Amino acid sequence: MNLDETTAGHLQELRRGTVVLACLVRLRTPDYGYALLESLNSLGILVDANTLYPLLRRLEKQGLLTSEWNTDEARPRKFYRTSPTGELLADTLMTDWRRIDDALAGLTDGDES
Amino acid sequence: MNATTSLTDRYVWAAGRSVPEAQRDELERELRERIGDATDALVDEGQAPADAEHAALTALGDPAALAADYIGRPLQLIGPRYFLVWWRLLKFLLALVLPIAVAGITLGQLLSGVEVGEVIGSAVSGALSVGVHLCFWTTLVFAILERVPAAPGQRGIDLEWKPEMLPQIADDGRTNRLVDLVSSLVLLGIFGVLLVVQQFGLPWVDALSSMPLLDPALWSFWLPYFLVLIVLEAAFAIAVYVRGWTWGLAGINLVLGAAWVVPGLWLWATGQLFNPAALEAIGWPWGEAGAVIAPIVVVVVIAAAAWDVVDGFIKAGRSQQRITAV
Repeated sequence: MNLDETTAGHLQELRRGTVVLACLVRLRTPDYGYALLESLNSLGILVDANTLYPLLRRLEKQGLLTSEWNTDEARPRKFYRTSPTGELLADTLMTDWRRIDDALAGLTDGDES
Repeated sequence: MNATTSLTDRYVWAAGRSVPEAQRDELERELRERIGDATDALVDEGQAPADAEHAALTALGDPAALAADYIGRPLQLIGPRYFLVWWRLLKFLLALVLPIAVAGITLGQLLSGVEVGEVIGSAVSGALSVGVHLCFWTTLVFAILERVPAAPGQRGIDLEWKPEMLPQIADDGRTNRLVDLVSSLVLLGIFGVLLVVQQFGLPWVDALSSMPLLDPALWSFWLPYFLVLIVLEAAFAIAVYVRGWTWGLAGINLVLGAAWVVPGLWLWATGQLFNPAALEAIGWPWGEAGAVIAPIVVVVVIAAAAWDVVDGFIKAGRSQQRITAV
């Protein structure tokens, strides 16, 4: 395994949880898979379609998202929305994310002194 | 229906058929949405519709893998949940069953008067077939278990690991010794039973179905002597298990080995070991083979006995080293 692969692997691990958090926050307004993919990537939250679509399914199965088929347009689309349980998890994750950020900041400051 | 829609249709069908029917409709609709949106995006970037669809499907990858990912089905035969249990059980079964099967096949063939080459052939092919069966059926059971959902909060049939299960470091010879003990006791038991049973004939050998294999005259002294020796060997195996190999026990092993081999070979060489009627029934000596088999048996018996004695001393040496090292 070369260095690039190692870096890519660690980046993927670091981002995995943040994609869940980003989905839960972003889907407070209902949206469908491809639109979500676009908006997350344009915000700089880099996620692959092969990760996002199965993730949405898994979050729905865990009761963190609810879904509804929208058949108004020619192509039926599944719209996901964050459930109340999903909101609670988003708050917990966000708190922890901030705590980790502070802790890492403290660690870096400590390094420099 | 034109060629472009049919590629998507084929993909959706291929993915759908590998999931349970209850989840199929939903998965197929989701896939159509995803493929459609991905294709449209590529068309917006200026690709031809057919190329865009082709590229979108290529990005999705193997439909079976995608479907497995969507519904959370394992893509490995046996996952980490069961791998260690499977591996331990398989090693245990192979170590226990294979030697017994090979010994059984060899003995049966030898007694029914098959030539040595053929005996070795049957033993090897028998070992292969038993080994393949053991591996296959054990793996099949675990592959099924892997696909049966465990109750919530449970790991499945696997025992929860506890620190108490850790092996003892200082006494690491003991696990090996337990294997030695069990195999010794099993083999001695089988041997003892055979010594007694052969008196009433060996029902699985046609020629000997109601005829003692060993000379019945031996019951006056030598057969009881060997039976006592079996009991002594069993006691010795237990002593080795309890105390580990010591120089003293290695010495006793030498004496016990000699107590088997010397009278056994002497009885055989002087023609007192086998029942003459039984030899006649199986047609001994089998033509030219007799002259070949006799030296082979002598060499194998002496080599096996000598190795057993040497092995005892090596193990004694190792365990003494371990004690001084600790």
